[in-house]
Amino acid sequence: MIPLADRADEALAKLAGMTGSAAIGKLDGATLLGERAMLAGMAIPGRISAGGGCRLFEAVGDGIALNLARADDRELLPALLKTDTLDTNDDQAIAACIARSDAALLVARGRSMGLAMALEHEALPCCDNPCVELVTGVAAVGPVRRAPRVLDLSALWAGPLAGHLLWLAGAEVVKVESRTRPDAMREGERAFYALLNQGKASVVLDFADASDRQALLSLIAASDIVIEAARPRALAQLGIDAARIVRTTPGLVWVTITGHGAAGEAADWVGFGDDCGVAGGLSAALRAASGRSGFVGDAIADPLAGITAALAAWEAWSSRRGGRFGVAMSHVIACCLTRAHATDPAALDASLRAWSAAAGMPFPLVSRRPIGAVRTFGEDTHARLAQVARC
Amino acid sequence: MKAGTKLKSAVCDTEVMVIRGSDAIVECGGSPMDVERPAQRGTLNPTFSEGTKIGKRYVDAAGTVEFLCVKAGQGSLSIGGVALQVKDAKPLPSSD
Repeated sequence: MIPLADRADEALAKLAGMTGSAAIGKLDGATLLGERAMLAGMAIPGRISAGGGCRLFEAVGDGIALNLARADDRELLPALLKTDTLDTNDDQAIAACIARSDAALLVARGRSMGLAMALEHEALPCCDNPCVELVTGVAAVGPVRRAPRVLDLSALWAGPLAGHLLWLAGAEVVKVESRTRPDAMREGERAFYALLNQGKASVVLDFADASDRQALLSLIAASDIVIEAARPRALAQLGIDAARIVRTTPGLVWVTITGHGAAGEAADWVGFGDDCGVAGGLSAALRAASGRSGFVGDAIADPLAGITAALAAWEAWSSRRGGRFGVAMSHVIACCLTRAHATDPAALDASLRAWSAAAGMPFPLVSRRPIGAVRTFGEDTHARLAQVARC
Repeated sequence: MKAGTKLKSAVCDTEVMVIRGSDAIVECGGSPMDVERPAQRGTLNPTFSEGTKIGKRYVDAAGTVEFLCVKAGQGSLSIGGVALQVKDAKPLPSSD
């Protein structure tokens, strides 16, 4: 059993109730948390994440997670560790350097460099709601008359899962990708990409092109829900002011998924599912329960944040109030942990101990869901842009 | 310059971190950068005023040096009067 799968069950039951969707009613939390690992044949992780990109290290004062999943992350290691002599492919040498470094300083430094890092014992803002209202929306008038139109600008796992859940609930979903920087999950486990992106229209834009940037604004204007997971400066560079758009578009719901929050310094920190799980306190909880640190789940903050984002989006859309909402992956984990502690601390402890003891075993088997057709890259660009140009 | 060293612009707010160093002196806004800012801010050379962007990595044509912008400013980077170029955005991981 994957720890926190029961938290996912709880959120899914809420989403099923809210949307009235039979397809969502049939889902279970463990499936959403474990389906990628099962499809990719991953093992239950120890100190290296299930996907292999993130590692736990011991530094002075705390354990740290360092995610080196992007190809050129390793080039930053000599600068991170202030050494010119490091072999950046020698994980033992990296571990030795980290062991001599102050954990909190190292993580702060790495984050300022754009590396996805986390402390095992991170000081998180106290949160009982993982979804924060960032901008108050303008309520739309009248009842909802049709299923929502969703524009999915996100990539990887959390955002696409949120779009997928809304699609299961009947929404029409358009996935937008950059021509030069497509969703990297296309290069990962094929069946998993298809699971998350089946049924979505595919629009591809060149964000360096002014008319394509204008087209993006038109697509946004024709949508009821926008799902986005970019850092603030990336949006600014596209000329998108989400706050202004939300304040001037009645009923528009905009969900921003971040690693560590949409405000202040943390808005610029990069976070992926495994390191955000650590930042949310999951590896510390594992260590407290079992005596050994390690990763819990497979990029666990991604699926939990995706479900949270879908809930937030549907709730704000169906109430017609609109607004911009922030879902921070590390805060989602912290909230889930807090609730699990409050609900049944013994069950949480037992699930963490069992998880730790099973390290190295195959990932728990979960339900195999049907996979529908996936549109090819950019297949719907012309049709969709023609449609919004007519509006 | 040792990897990890932070350099500050003498003419604007730019700060960079050395990712791959050499002995070459990097300039910002036309003036040499250093670990400390001078007491008095110099003047920005209009030829090197396109600005730096936070999070971007800058390289020379030969790819021998690399700097990460950790604080943006009005000046742009050069070595020996030759402008540095922005390295392309990082591809996202296929498994995170």
